Amino acid sequence: MSLLSIAARNLLRNKFRTIFTVLGAAVAVLAFVFIQTMLTSWSAGVEFAAKDRIATRHKVSMILPLPKRYADTIREVPGVKHASYFQWFGGVDPKDKNNFFANTAVESKTVFDIYDEMVVAPEDKARWLADRQGAIVGAVLAKKMGLKVGDRVTLQGTIFPGDWQFNVSGIYTASRRSIDQSQFFFHWDYLNESVPEPQRDQVAWISARLDDPTRSAEVSAAIDRIFDEKDVQTATMSERAMNLSFMAMFSAVLSALDAVSIIILVIMVMILGNTIAMGVRERTREYGVLRAVGFQPKHVGLFILGEALTIGVLAGVVGLGISYPLVELMFGRFLEENMGGMFPYFRIAPMTMVAAVLLAVTLSVVASLIPAYRAAKLSVTDALRRVA
Amino acid sequence: MIPVAYNLRNLAVRKTTTLATAAGLGLVVFVFASVLMLANSIERTLGRSGRPDVAIVLRKGSDAELASGIEAQQVSLILGNADVAKRPDGKPDGVGEIAAVILLPKLGTDGESNVQVRGVPDDVMAFRPSVTLVEGRPAQPGSDEVIVGKAISGRFKGLTLGQSFELRKNRPLKVVGIFADGGSSFESEVWGDVHSVGSAFGRQGSMSSVRVRLLSPAKFDGFKASIDQNQQLGLEVLRETDYYEKQSEGMNVFIGALGISIAFLFSVGAMIGAMITMYGSIANRQREIGTLRALGFSRFSILLSFLLESICLALIGGAIGALASLAMGMVRFSMVNFASFSEVVFTFEPTPGIMLGSLAVAVVMGLFGGFLPAVQAARMSPIKAMRG
Amino acid sequence: MGEGQREGKKPIVELDGVGKTYFRDKEPVVVLDNISLDIEEGSYEALMGPSGSGKSTLLNLIAGLDRPSRGSARVAGQELSGMSDSALATFRSRTMGFIFQAYNLMPVLTAVENVELPLLLTKLSRGERKKRAQTALRVVGLEERMNHYPRQLSGGQEQRVAIARAIVNDPRIIVADEPTGDLDRKSADEILTLLEKLNKEFNKTILMVTHDPQAAERATVIHRLDKGNLS
Repeated sequence: MSLLSIAARNLLRNKFRTIFTVLGAAVAVLAFVFIQTMLTSWSAGVEFAAKDRIATRHKVSMILPLPKRYADTIREVPGVKHASYFQWFGGVDPKDKNNFFANTAVESKTVFDIYDEMVVAPEDKARWLADRQGAIVGAVLAKKMGLKVGDRVTLQGTIFPGDWQFNVSGIYTASRRSIDQSQFFFHWDYLNESVPEPQRDQVAWISARLDDPTRSAEVSAAIDRIFDEKDVQTATMSERAMNLSFMAMFSAVLSALDAVSIIILVIMVMILGNTIAMGVRERTREYGVLRAVGFQPKHVGLFILGEALTIGVLAGVVGLGISYPLVELMFGRFLEENMGGMFPYFRIAPMTMVAAVLLAVTLSVVASLIPAYRAAKLSVTDALRRVA
Repeated sequence: MIPVAYNLRNLAVRKTTTLATAAGLGLVVFVFASVLMLANSIERTLGRSGRPDVAIVLRKGSDAELASGIEAQQVSLILGNADVAKRPDGKPDGVGEIAAVILLPKLGTDGESNVQVRGVPDDVMAFRPSVTLVEGRPAQPGSDEVIVGKAISGRFKGLTLGQSFELRKNRPLKVVGIFADGGSSFESEVWGDVHSVGSAFGRQGSMSSVRVRLLSPAKFDGFKASIDQNQQLGLEVLRETDYYEKQSEGMNVFIGALGISIAFLFSVGAMIGAMITMYGSIANRQREIGTLRALGFSRFSILLSFLLESICLALIGGAIGALASLAMGMVRFSMVNFASFSEVVFTFEPTPGIMLGSLAVAVVMGLFGGFLPAVQAARMSPIKAMRG
Repeated sequence: MGEGQREGKKPIVELDGVGKTYFRDKEPVVVLDNISLDIEEGSYEALMGPSGSGKSTLLNLIAGLDRPSRGSARVAGQELSGMSDSALATFRSRTMGFIFQAYNLMPVLTAVENVELPLLLTKLSRGERKKRAQTALRVVGLEERMNHYPRQLSGGQEQRVAIARAIVNDPRIIVADEPTGDLDRKSADEILTLLEKLNKEFNKTILMVTHDPQAAERATVIHRLDKGNLS
């Protein structure tokens, strides 16, 4: 028997209240885990961005094209290992117009030199290169749309009018978490041959890989300097900076989520604090007895802290226990399938788990500070006189 | 019946617990009301951009102005339609405009974000009489001067009165005026001369969209039929209100799904908090409840009394939360409009309905949180209660 | 009390001009006026008096639960009036055993664990603590109930567990505040017999507040308090 074990046993006195407090705090843990996972998943693009990859786009606007020949110029820039160009396609699935996924026309020969974390089986790749209308589809998108190799897909163009036919040549998976697995790639040549003359030989951006990731700022500046004198100027930045920009577009949502995270913590402290304060109120006389038989004020404080800690640990563990299946199996799958562009990898990070449990424990201690302090400060005779 | 004053006094006696619980409930109501206010603002901001008697013409299949393109000769064909209203000077009341986005550094973040730029003709103010200049002066027709919506002014580098930004090298566009449009999404746009914008975006001779004011809203079907009939044009016609409603839908689903799922998790936590408090309140008052029963009050009136107490508790919290959410009216929230890829600034717009709805949520939480405890109180036998 | 005893050793409790004043809404309330009292080691004394006479306050002062507002209180050779809270706590754990009217057992602990509670403050090993707690329970005749929880015991049994708790740290003084107040006559008598045994066989000094004349009669000395003064 020790003071801590008595504290833990005290929690069993009002099982109902303890269970509900743990549940309430566990729900708060769940909300916290959910939001944090959302934030980490969102920033995965920045976190896991390839350090040796840079992208060049039109200086003014993402909707303005670059000439395709710029890619050849970039390949000549010292420090550049590979380069490949891309064009937005912006097609929609005519059967389900609300199903948004990125579909991009790519330079077939070089795209996987740039994105080597997209894993495609060699026979799929060969089949794709041999088929003018071939497409490579992300594993998540393929599953969602029920696509398999050999299927025919029609996309309706929004930027490039008309119905476009594709054959699924292969499926890619990702070996890095920042890669959205619900993209759709096809040959830029196919697009280019089919659009009217004035729109030919245009690309939206050019990606390059570098020999030395530490020189990315330098190489980016060198590229922009080359085109500064041409009729179309460029802006080149690292993949990380580009992803940061994408996050900046949602900065208000991100700060709202941060604010909500803090609100969760406050609610958690209130639930925990309320329960602890109630327990302390009911047990004041017992604390008086403890003090009478010679326990110090700090013992009483520790005693209450012990109760709070036990609740905190339970809440953290139970909260994670509910979060895991909910986030990983339900929310996560839904978001990966439907908003893969924003949440390519929606899983609970180990740091989030640790943070959630630590927070539950810390907050329970914080919530118990005032009741513990008051109980410790109470005069013994007052405490003994108190009727529960 | 047991007077409500009894419950109110009981809440007042246990001040700390009451306040902690009410504050927890209040935070939920705060989050809930804020989400609704934001969703309302999204709908209203985009809704105010649409007028019932205006039709918007886009290229078929393009879904949004950004992807659309209409040849100049088609523009005059559309404006010449018999259903289009005439201005006092006899000209058709319609405009052909160019919609584009540019990337500008977003102040206060590390990234860049998209800003919608609209190339407007000289007579745009005649077409949109609700637009007023609040600062500066109108742009000179045919010049490199622009006016900026007041919602977005000051949020991006260069978008402040007197400053400038570049669309093309060495051709800075100067901000000469700030305009307002009753809180519509136009306030998040930059308006420049249609020819300057057109040439910068390589769209000479082509517009993004044509808007026309019809003789009356009822003329829409006739107008649409006459445009659709001419299949060679390849155009589609939408009511301006429908067009913006569709745009707000995407964002509202996003904000709504996110906000409501968070608010739901919160409310579970807060209800559990209320339940704990009510159970505590009943445990402390066993003797009182026994006395009430002994005095002849029915089980039902005790049930009712405790339910009322719980609802009062929730209403206190709900009122605090709803009032606090009104302060969000001062916050401006910018988010990417998924349809135009550009930022639109929203506020938090309360309505009496949202306020009442939030209070109703509080009442429901009080009802659910208080139900089990109240049942327990009502089931207490007078004898047992007296002994406790 | 004979003269010889007084000369032989010092009294275990020496109160000299002790007073206690509380403040209720800034109004001073004199609970104890001016008390001088000596209690010899090994005596069994009762404090009687009407409600509000200050008898519990006096007991609390002697027990080291409270400090006097004025005067000197020497208990077991220590001056209590200037001691810090934590020094008082240590003093209580070494010198005092407490018995309360409402027993005040911890409901989550078994009888033997309740008795063991004060020993958590000592450096004794787990086994030694348990042995001592069992011994104390044997003294009060409840050894076979050691694994029962308070709610499984009768009022008299609960009070005997409380007495075991009071003696487990081998205190020199046992203070009892209305120890029979909540008990029926038969249980009360058992408790009083037990206290007598502690006094006679174990030589514990016992100070008891009571308003039960039958209880007071068991004591060797009866002090009467009225309006904050010994009468």
